[in-house]
Amino acid sequence: MRRRRSIVTSGPRTRSPHAGEPRLGLRAPRSRAGGAAGTPAVGDAGAPTGSGRGIGSGTGARTPALPAGTAPAGSWAGVPAGGPVSGVAAAAVDLSVDLAPRRPGRLVLRNPVLVASGTFGYGVEYGEVVDVERLGAICCKGTTLKPRTGNPPPRVTETPGGMLNSIGLQNPGVDAVIERYAPLWAGWQVPVLVNVAGESIDDYVGVVQRLDGVPGVAGIELNISCPNVGKGGLQFAVDRDAAAAVTAAVRRATDLPLLVKLSPNVTDIRPIARAIEDAGADAITAINTLSGIAVDRRTGRPLLGNVYGGLSGPAIRPVGLRIVYEVAQVVSIPVVAIGGVGALDDVLDYLAVGAIAVQVGTAIFADPEVPLRLVDELRAYCAARGLSSHLPLVGTALPARPGRPSAKGVEYRP
Amino acid sequence: MRLLDAELVETREILPRQWLQRYRAPWLAAGARAGQFVHVRTPDYSGLVLRRPISINTVDRVAGEITLHFRIAGKGTELLARGRPGDSVPMLGPLGRPFEVDPRTHHVLLIAGGLGVAGVRFLADESLEAGRQVTLLFGAATAGDVYPSTLLPDEVEYVVATEDGSLGQPGRVTDLVPAYEAWADQAFACGPSPMLAALAALAAGRQARLGVARLGRKRGTGRPVPLGSPQARRRSWLQVSMEQHMGCAVGACLGCVVWGVEGPLRVCREGPVFAAEEIAWEEPA
Ligand SMILES: Cc1cc2nc3c(=O)[nH]c(=O)nc-3n(C[C@H](O)[C@H](O)[C@H](O)COP(=O)(O)O)c2cc1C
Ligand code: FES
Repeated sequence: MRRRRSIVTSGPRTRSPHAGEPRLGLRAPRSRAGGAAGTPAVGDAGAPTGSGRGIGSGTGARTPALPAGTAPAGSWAGVPAGGPVSGVAAAAVDLSVDLAPRRPGRLVLRNPVLVASGTFGYGVEYGEVVDVERLGAICCKGTTLKPRTGNPPPRVTETPGGMLNSIGLQNPGVDAVIERYAPLWAGWQVPVLVNVAGESIDDYVGVVQRLDGVPGVAGIELNISCPNVGKGGLQFAVDRDAAAAVTAAVRRATDLPLLVKLSPNVTDIRPIARAIEDAGADAITAINTLSGIAVDRRTGRPLLGNVYGGLSGPAIRPVGLRIVYEVAQVVSIPVVAIGGVGALDDVLDYLAVGAIAVQVGTAIFADPEVPLRLVDELRAYCAARGLSSHLPLVGTALPARPGRPSAKGVEYRP
Repeated sequence: MRLLDAELVETREILPRQWLQRYRAPWLAAGARAGQFVHVRTPDYSGLVLRRPISINTVDRVAGEITLHFRIAGKGTELLARGRPGDSVPMLGPLGRPFEVDPRTHHVLLIAGGLGVAGVRFLADESLEAGRQVTLLFGAATAGDVYPSTLLPDEVEYVVATEDGSLGQPGRVTDLVPAYEAWADQAFACGPSPMLAALAALAAGRQARLGVARLGRKRGTGRPVPLGSPQARRRSWLQVSMEQHMGCAVGACLGCVVWGVEGPLRVCREGPVFAAEEIAWEEPA
């Protein structure tokens, strides 16, 4: 029988019995029916939970609990197709997630669907066609200390099942971002996470220091897929020590919720993810784009002005799933999945491999309504299955036995 | 800007691999201006993740219809061309900034290279409606690619150049421009970027050649107008409609930039229409 991580607790939480060892999180008690509908979590607030990614702990996020009369989650989650047991009203489904359980109440989203950095500008561009206030959160375009003009055009091109982009972090610089957009964000209910990029640890720290305490800035998403000038251009994201060092430096510079975004362009993601967690990140987001190239057939030369671009869209979803699957097994902080999310099935897949929330990027270009539709569909899906939260769906695909984190992901045999 | 479903009313191949489609889309027909475009969804997200930006070719405000004119350039446009009347096609628009015509302009010169005619076609209608005279200079490789004159209003003077000389004047459309540069109060162009660059070079030397600027000399002396503003564009002799690969088409992704003299410009937001002076043209090869 498969065991699965669960977030539903019916009594006071304890630290994970597994804390420290397999880091697989709080295990689901097999029987957890009854109990505590609507009871706020007895939070181990403030304590690094080391468990079940701390969801539902702390202020703000409520423990998902099943209404009386519905089947316990364990009896159906991932169940054989026998159909839903009995539904709960969609309105009763609580999709909220705490993305920074180590900082209780600081980053509780109303729903687990975010928009990915670089695909949604500063939240204003799509304002005429999307009700941005209903999003879980917005990750804004990568922001650097100084303005950047970005890479030469062309910068985007479609590829099979995806696209390549080489924007080159064009942005007006952190001061202009704060001046132009933060006052607007401060009036919004939807949290805005500022995606931060840099070429040195000092760069990152400088940006974050400026963002610290600015009303409207709900948190930081650290984009570490940038060349580290200090290390000869080697990306922070591919170097465990550099990734840890930049995370730790930023952690010291701010008390804001800190998410660190992983690059898939590495041999083994697990030590990097662990180092980032140990350096004080509140959550991990994954994945950034995969490095790629397109050729212009008319000229026989590279198509993108920058030669290299980042691949995104449905084509990278299996890679995203694999990385989230591996990361979720080795860290206990929340994992937010990114990569080719466009439909409810994609969200469910990412939840199954251990993400508690997702970001939508490229799919917005085809249909700006996708993120909000996913919120509605996830809510309806939970309701139809008698679930008062999506959290019981988290981690169902993870290996049953702790202590043997995926070896197959990176050492696959074709 | 709005997300909407446009209903395909009529579709036909007007030139080899070039299609003219008429859609019922009252919102677009009512609000769109010449130079703007729509971002058209292709039917297959998992395979084709991007929409296709297409100029609004004409509008019929009374019927609530628009037309699009596009070439089959890949899978997305191929799928689009296979559409049947009654099909519903998701569109986002109207997008981008329109052409800016100076109120004092009487003589409008439109310059189109190949499919670029779709970028200026709407402006012919708008200009005629406003009582202006319109000349369309059109260039193509060969007679088979020449835009049918039947698709133009009778009032438009239509001048054609083909590179192989099979129809009209032999040569390029840019060769036709000097004969009209004194007549035209403003010129509006759309086509391949080498053509636009050549036109920009022509336009830059025009004042000197004519010895007098026909517009904006006296009135332009007051406060300086910022580059890229509607006022500045209205004073510009040449406006160009540019093309670029696009992601979002609303200004969010910075994927569609071209290089301007003051830095990157988003074709979807600051454009697709620019005054020629705003663009940092590459040296002709
Ligand atoms: C046009 C574009 C620009 C992007 N810019 C950024 C960026 O500035 N910072 C960042 O961390 N990720 C950036 N990304 C990566 C996305 O946030 C996301 O990680 C990636 O696209 C995978 O998700 P998707 O398949 O849903 O698009 C960008 C992606 C695209 C397509
Ligand atoms: S296409 Fe996204 S900014 Fe223009």
